[in-house]
Amino acid sequence: MKLLIIEDEKALNASMVTYLQQGGYTCDTALTYHEGSRLLADQHYTCVLIDLTLPGGNGLDLVRLLKKNNPDTGIIIISAKNALDDKITGLELGADDYLTKPFHLSELNARLRSVIRRRNFNGQKVIRIGSLEVFPESAEAHVKGQKLTLTKKEYDLLLYFVTNKNRVLTKDSIAEHLWGDHIESLDSLDFVYTHIKNLRRKLVEAGGEDPITTVYGMGYKFSF
Amino acid sequence: MRILTKTSLYYLLVSVIVFLLGGLSFYKILQTEIYDEVDDQLFTDKENIIEYIRKHNELPSVTSGISEAIIVKETGAHPGALEALSDTLIFSTYDEEYVPFRKLTFTTYQYGKPFEYTILKSLMDFEDLFESTMLAMAWIFVLLLVGLAGVNYFINKYNWRNFYDTLERAKRYSLTDRKPLLLKPTDTQEFQELNEVLQAMTSKIHSDYLNLKEFTENASHEIQTPLAIVSNKLELFMQSDNLNMQQATMLEEMHASINRLSRLNRSLILLTRIENREFSENEVIPLHELLQEQLDQLHEMMLMHHIRVEIEAMQPVFVEMNIGLCEILISNLLLNAIRHNSEGGIIRISLKADELCIRNSGEPATDEPVTLFERFRSGNKLSGSLGIGLALVSKISELYRLTPSYTYEEGLHVLRLKFPKKN
Repeated sequence: MKLLIIEDEKALNASMVTYLQQGGYTCDTALTYHEGSRLLADQHYTCVLIDLTLPGGNGLDLVRLLKKNNPDTGIIIISAKNALDDKITGLELGADDYLTKPFHLSELNARLRSVIRRRNFNGQKVIRIGSLEVFPESAEAHVKGQKLTLTKKEYDLLLYFVTNKNRVLTKDSIAEHLWGDHIESLDSLDFVYTHIKNLRRKLVEAGGEDPITTVYGMGYKFSF
Repeated sequence: MRILTKTSLYYLLVSVIVFLLGGLSFYKILQTEIYDEVDDQLFTDKENIIEYIRKHNELPSVTSGISEAIIVKETGAHPGALEALSDTLIFSTYDEEYVPFRKLTFTTYQYGKPFEYTILKSLMDFEDLFESTMLAMAWIFVLLLVGLAGVNYFINKYNWRNFYDTLERAKRYSLTDRKPLLLKPTDTQEFQELNEVLQAMTSKIHSDYLNLKEFTENASHEIQTPLAIVSNKLELFMQSDNLNMQQATMLEEMHASINRLSRLNRSLILLTRIENREFSENEVIPLHELLQEQLDQLHEMMLMHHIRVEIEAMQPVFVEMNIGLCEILISNLLLNAIRHNSEGGIIRISLKADELCIRNSGEPATDEPVTLFERFRSGNKLSGSLGIGLALVSKISELYRLTPSYTYEEGLHVLRLKFPKKN
């Protein structure tokens, strides 16, 4: 799957490329508006990540352009401006998602997956990892063909892990993924712990192995 | 006290003192003049009487002078030894009251024997004159006082009108409005100066405020990208295979701090944007539904802390707000009630047509209630709270003219949100 990352901040661009390449994507990068529009004209991408404030133009125009020429390409807007108007305009123009800087790379990856899944109707309808099967369309998970009874949060957590398999996920990023801005509140880390504990128990009870490991104090990793 | 009342009062006070002193000296002067006059006449009478006696060797008829009565009696005293002026009261059977008299007593020889003469002059006429003069004076005083006070009041009022106008405009002036302070020009020099000073001052403050705001906004926005870079690089770093325990811990701590900073920055940007009134798209929101939604979302957190929710009232209430801000408002109020609750505590919620009231158990706050709505205030430093939740509540309330208040009643924290009266 081929991605284009249009982001003028080199360091940020490089981080995204590194993380996403490790996930098996092929990434092209553009640092300016014109570079971006040229690449968009020449190539076909599964999904494009667009920063709104670019040297040489507004990212929203690239969204318009893309919608006109390649309507089946997924679009995720990345912006430092948490401006509601931009978000609304972006989504109205047909962007699939909107991420505000700073964001977790694991979150970006999860959003990207979800965009690709939603757009790619003919594609993979089940994610298989060993004896574990996750069905994003029906929000279900099976172990050895047997359905797991998961709460909404536990399912979200499992999907997040599966999407970012073999990566260390920090407790903060998990908490933010599950509760959004509410985590500002309280002991969200205890929540994460509780949910992970329950998820592990359910996976093991269903006869699967425990794929989740604790990585020192940093976070958790779904290894396979 | 208003300046007009104050000057009028001083004016009255001074006038009363001046008039009292004036009246008193007038009274004294008049009295002295009358006594002088009466005494002069009494002495003239005395000379006349002595002269008459010397010539005719008998008393003159009473009516010959101004004296109204002469009392004659023999005396053993030496002639000329006794001559005295004094006041006396004599009972008048006609008027049935005591009448004031001035009397002059003197002795002289008649038929070779010393006699004591007392001549009397009624002061009744003078007293009457005196009284009517004083009455007239009093009337003049009262009329003058009322008239002058009135004139003074209206002149002052007229003169100060520009001042009150300036004051009213200055009161209504708000830094967050983008309008400059416009004041009516006046021909009173002091007020004109005041206006100029005020206008110069507010425009300076306004431009400082704008600069500061711009700086904060720019700073917050510019910080986002470096934060994103650091955060993402740390995340990549964490994926390394050969990290040892110590390095992992350090990375995790850095990552957590960066996260905290990001969230803080995001909240500050949100606060600024509310202040800038960037959320102008309002819609009518069913508050009861939104409240229930938020309660459901936070249900898990409450379960975890064994907090019970009691809905005391949930009337349908519709408010016109920006939906995003309304969600932030409600969720912050609820989060606050969870955060400052005790394990196994309670949250009581009552939504009525005029107010939303959220009560929760918990330790009493150590801060003054008013400061709780300020930024970076949190009752305790536990739970990693940023202390910005209630500041957001306060800012959003301000925008929609809701009145938040905090009290501690019967062991419960009470946060009330009064809705504005519908016109």
